[in-house]
Amino acid sequence: MPVTTAKVLFFGRLKELVGVSEDAYELRDGAAIEQIFAHYAARCPQLAAFRSSVVASRNHEFASWETPVHSGDEVAFLPPVSGG
Amino acid sequence: MSEADNSSNDRVELTRSRIVAESYISHVRTPADGAIVAFDGCVRNHSHGRRTLYLEYEAYEPMALEKMREISVQLHEKFAIDRVAVVHRLGRLEIGETSVFIAVSAAHRAPAFEACRWAIDTLKRTVPIWKKEFFEDGAVWAEGELPPPPGAAPSVKSAS
Repeated sequence: MPVTTAKVLFFGRLKELVGVSEDAYELRDGAAIEQIFAHYAARCPQLAAFRSSVVASRNHEFASWETPVHSGDEVAFLPPVSGG
Repeated sequence: MSEADNSSNDRVELTRSRIVAESYISHVRTPADGAIVAFDGCVRNHSHGRRTLYLEYEAYEPMALEKMREISVQLHEKFAIDRVAVVHRLGRLEIGETSVFIAVSAAHRAPAFEACRWAIDTLKRTVPIWKKEFFEDGAVWAEGELPPPPGAAPSVKSAS
């Protein structure tokens, strides 16, 4: 089963909850974004509580939780945006 | 002209320096225009009844720039406009300073007004930028807006 590494980014309050802004996460090639979030949520229950308001992106595009992740992908978890 | 040509004169930026509005207004001003509409979003001294001391903005910078460029391209598709300038500031901002500035030029005023309004409403919903509000007794991340689900066309709900 091929293993791949994704770059994982957290922003805003999620960054403060997880304690890092950037991490590298090894997963099975093609695994869903959901699996990455679950990994961090297991370590950080407060992050899990924000699940319903978090939006994910893959390679700078908003992505559904089912989106498969491949080698070199950049996955980010974004709290509700508040620019302007 | 092609759509790419239409947006190729636009100016889309993130900056950590003070925003000089005149620079962006000048950028969109051409002899073909009869109207320029600008939106100046600035730092308010209160939020939900509390006195705000200052704000800090952070962005997922490469994605934010891509989303801002998408807005400028969409503006040309939706409205009969000439040029667009959009800039958002990051880092610490003091009360009264400009956090976001948008200028749109057009031959006629109606599309300039409509495009400028659509641009700021869409930016506030789709561009990954976050605001932290600092008060005398602590700091909070601003209540934000959820971007549209992947694949959905951006739409505008009532502005907050």
